[in-house]
Amino acid sequence: MLKYFFIISLLFFSFISSSEARVYLDINAPTFVQIPIVLAKWKSVEKTPSPFSEKAYEILANDLTLSGFFKVIDAPHLPPSLREREGIPNTSSLQEWIPAGGEILLAGETLLESDGLNFKLKFHLFDLVEQRHIVGKQYEGPLQTLRSAVHRIADEVVLQITGEKGVHNTKIAYAVLQGPGKEIFIADFDGANVKQITQNQSINLSPAWAPDGKKIAFTSYLKRNPDLYLINTDGKNLQRFSYYPGLNVSPSWSPDGKQIVLMMGMEGKSDIFLIDTNGGNPKRLTKGHGNEASPTWSPDGESIAFVSDRSGSPQIYVMARDGANVRRLTFEGSYNTNPSWSPKGDRIAFCARAEGRFHIFTIGIDGSGLRKMTSNSGNNESPCWSPDGRYIAFSSTRTGASKIFIMNANGFNQRVLTSSKGGESSPAWSRRFE
Amino acid sequence: MSKKSFVIFTILFLCFGLMMSGCPKKTVMKEEPSVKKEEAVKKEEAAKKEEGAKKEFEKSLVATKTPGIEGEVFESSLLKDIRFDFDKYDIRPGEAAILKDNAALLKKYPNVKIQIEGHCDERGTVEYNLALGERRANSSKNYLVSLGISADRISTISYGKEKPLDPGHNEEAWAKNRRAHTIITAK
Repeated sequence: MLKYFFIISLLFFSFISSSEARVYLDINAPTFVQIPIVLAKWKSVEKTPSPFSEKAYEILANDLTLSGFFKVIDAPHLPPSLREREGIPNTSSLQEWIPAGGEILLAGETLLESDGLNFKLKFHLFDLVEQRHIVGKQYEGPLQTLRSAVHRIADEVVLQITGEKGVHNTKIAYAVLQGPGKEIFIADFDGANVKQITQNQSINLSPAWAPDGKKIAFTSYLKRNPDLYLINTDGKNLQRFSYYPGLNVSPSWSPDGKQIVLMMGMEGKSDIFLIDTNGGNPKRLTKGHGNEASPTWSPDGESIAFVSDRSGSPQIYVMARDGANVRRLTFEGSYNTNPSWSPKGDRIAFCARAEGRFHIFTIGIDGSGLRKMTSNSGNNESPCWSPDGRYIAFSSTRTGASKIFIMNANGFNQRVLTSSKGGESSPAWSRRFE
Repeated sequence: MSKKSFVIFTILFLCFGLMMSGCPKKTVMKEEPSVKKEEAVKKEEAAKKEEGAKKEFEKSLVATKTPGIEGEVFESSLLKDIRFDFDKYDIRPGEAAILKDNAALLKKYPNVKIQIEGHCDERGTVEYNLALGERRANSSKNYLVSLGISADRISTISYGKEKPLDPGHNEEAWAKNRRAHTIITAK
């Protein structure tokens, strides 16, 4: 209901820029310079100004920093004459903002309704180099949707500057060490709203979002066998749905949400199987005597990448969804695992042992263009892509206990997920929630 | 026949009978107790030994419950772990003797059912280690089956790198953690 209300409110855009869209930043380039963006202090337009505008401002500044596309110049870093200037400027007065040192100016206003339960947010984006207005929008909704509304503004800013919407309204699921077991958690992209969704003291592993973003599949040892379970993202409605003797692990949903590819141990060793989402119709896709592991779907649902040690060491392979046309993708190194297919379909991220440590690499789906993305003294594992393919989340021990990190897909801007306290592994990125 | 001669005859007959039966009996009597005794002692000793072993086995059983994992199982110090090389699941020659001992014990207790757990060290990914652990558990199972233990007495489970015996991050800990561990699911 809240969500519904919020979506309706989006129809009330104040106005949309008439100028044609242009891309300021080609983020697909192997390297890019972050765009300096000025964040003017937000104006609280109530009769009695509320702290609410500061809150929105903070969330937005953090979002734009996390995106990796911007060098954020926030109010404390502005020249004294501009530091306290708030509200939305006229295009004719934009030259006053030139000393701020940015190419883009973001200005906004907030209004907390007199009932104290609903808000309005308004923002405008300006090009300071060309002295022109880029876009302006207004959002309104109940107070509980504030974070989400600010994330939408950040997504819109990213769209205007890079040509594609951001992923600020996404979540990351992961496993966390607790005592002798592991529990499944989810957090927002910015590390806020951490929620523990399993509380069973068991070993809970490898969360995977259903494409609709409402359920998570994962493996648990609750019944003394690694069985596959489904759970709602609020931690309710736990269902055991694949419990063949042996492994039922490492699920990956088909893009249409109708099937799950996973590792199963029915043959006394791990093979790649396809099952329906009710656990029925198991179909073995891999033949032969190797250990087969970590399947991941291509975004078009036609292919599956996986790990096999059939050649003597674990390597990444690709096959059609029916198990045909198997080809080996990786030839360098002797331990290549954890493939994750990019949402754009062109690359596969994986974890490889290099110089005695585990690092994240990406490779083209034709096997060309191998790139090493991490270089530190820790182990880096379990890469997964953001739904727009512009970020990779992974686990790393570079600061001690394993934590979830995020980097831009070119390897830049590696940072720890704010919520991460240590003992986290196996990140899985949701779709966009809108 | 006079009464007197009848008595004498009877006495003589009895004496003769006694002599006839007594002499061989005497030798048998001499031997029989020692043979019987030896056999009895042997039997008793074997029974005692078996009883002792049974007691030792029963004594060795420790009931264990793991939070978040269903069921009470037993562990016995007499069923030993075997270890594996890094990224390998074949039974090392030195470890085969351990499985032979485990098999001998299982033959004595036909009602005992076991579960073999495959474990790995912390290096490498969660999923690949689960595959490796599955293999370690199954290669141990297959070896026991080859020694005559019925396959339906043995279940397997892979814990990958999720249940290390030694939480350390060094070679010594890793070597301990690459193992197949046996638990008892039915006595």
